[in-house]
Amino acid sequence: MSVVVTNNLTKRYGRRVGIEDVSITVGQGEVFGFLGPNGSGKTTTIRLLLGLLRPTSGESSIFDLDCWRATKQIKEDIGYLPGDLRLYANSTGRDMLRVFGAIRGRDLLTFGNVLADRFELEMNVSVRRMSRGMRQKLGLIIALAHKPKLIILDEPTASLDPLMQEQLMQLLREFASDGHTVFFSSHTLSEVERLCDRVAIVREGKIVADESLATLKALAKRDVTIKWKLGTDIPDVPNFLDLYQSANKDHLWQATLDGSVNELLDWLHGRGYDDFAVGHPDLESLFRRFYEKERVAK
Amino acid sequence: MNRGLLIKTIREVWAITAPFAIAVFIVETLIAYVLPTFSEQFADSWMGIEIVRKMLSALLSVDIGDQFGPHVFIAIAWVHPIVLTIFGAHATIFATRFPVGEIDRATIDVLMGLPVSRWQIYRCELVVFIATGLVLLAMAIAGNRLGTSLVSADQPWPVSSISIVSINLLSLFLAVGGLAWLVSSLSNRRGKAIAVVFSLLLASFLLSFLAQFWEPAENIVFLSILNYYQPLIIIRDGDWPTLNIVALLIVATSLWIIGGVINARRDICTV
Repeated sequence: MSVVVTNNLTKRYGRRVGIEDVSITVGQGEVFGFLGPNGSGKTTTIRLLLGLLRPTSGESSIFDLDCWRATKQIKEDIGYLPGDLRLYANSTGRDMLRVFGAIRGRDLLTFGNVLADRFELEMNVSVRRMSRGMRQKLGLIIALAHKPKLIILDEPTASLDPLMQEQLMQLLREFASDGHTVFFSSHTLSEVERLCDRVAIVREGKIVADESLATLKALAKRDVTIKWKLGTDIPDVPNFLDLYQSANKDHLWQATLDGSVNELLDWLHGRGYDDFAVGHPDLESLFRRFYEKERVAK
Repeated sequence: MNRGLLIKTIREVWAITAPFAIAVFIVETLIAYVLPTFSEQFADSWMGIEIVRKMLSALLSVDIGDQFGPHVFIAIAWVHPIVLTIFGAHATIFATRFPVGEIDRATIDVLMGLPVSRWQIYRCELVVFIATGLVLLAMAIAGNRLGTSLVSADQPWPVSSISIVSINLLSLFLAVGGLAWLVSSLSNRRGKAIAVVFSLLLASFLLSFLAQFWEPAENIVFLSILNYYQPLIIIRDGDWPTLNIVALLIVATSLWIIGGVINARRDICTV
């Protein structure tokens, strides 16, 4: 069952394009990574999903309901953490859970307190006196306290220390294993890589990739280092290696592998190498490659 | 009506309403107490001077002519610029809380992440807005009554006239709130929205003021929102200013509805 569906979703601000023809589908229980650099259109997409923006064209639906027309109904089962989180400065965490609980018509305090313990957040402190990290934790608690079916998080790890980041990842995995869907927007590849089943990469308002993490890893290049034996004739660079550093005096190659490891092993066989290393698939470089493609296209 | 939204709104506005209510109470008490003390002296020495009469007429938005009496002083308490400023400022500050206030402080993301519609928030804000208007009005009446009784326990206090003036003032308060709400619905920066509303109110005040001296202004004074609030006539004649109240309520209703429609359809962007 699809929880989030967008179909050629487009938002323009006058002449400027926010997003263009964004089509994504997120299934139930999926942890979906929405990856892109700052200003690429991630937040615009989320705002369209939440009914804060009206689409210029295209459609978007959550739980089979139109995101603009049925926004109130949809948000009964959405937990949302904004990217630029601002909270009511004079309230304490507990006050906010009480008031938001009254707005939702649900008790947020019970599970909110459990989350506060996990995030080690003191709930009786007023927002004004909270550090940025504490406010971020409170924002997460507000987003998760009603155990929403769909969790939309816009760059949620900002301001969280590594321990709390790990705690968040663990919590989201638990939610996902219980059938909750997570829409995780980030510009940091490593955290998406740690958490998500599937990743869409958005660049300048357009989806440039939408694949499972396994497929993306298969697409990603690996770093390769080859050290040739001294006195050996250095062979020509094969077409599946993209050499980015060659220190001929030291007989050292550093390259990216644009092919299979087996192909590399076959090629190396019988050649005079001293040592070689093949790295993990490097999503970072793949991510950069998508970016470069766009830049070249421009 | 969403109970949680009501709680949220009341929690946020009591802190701004309380000082305004106290201020209007004090100002009304002082004006009602001090002005009658000078009434005889004022009538003897100043009202003979043409320019003073004109200035007073301008303040009251009505030509007082030679009919100078206690009703003028009672009326001044309800049109004094400080009193109007308190009501206008409160209406403007309150009615620009949503959406522009929430957008400006970027809390709207969290608010709109909740299962509430923009119309629901709007209705809630409007109900609490009217309630705070009634609180201000009650405090103004209480201050006026106290000030009058301090002058002399036997001093007559025209209950029915002041009740009518209060209804007229509440209509004005709603109209100013409607204007502020409309500007708020069109804006992304609260400071700018407040500046626009204050400029319009100031222009309205100046127009009503100048209309007493200057014919071109008199011809367009119907555009001034303050033209529909004339307590002197109510206190002097005891008549219901039905047309004025209806005009203000039509303006208020139109502005609140237009603002609501714009707000329901607009993009909400904090960056």
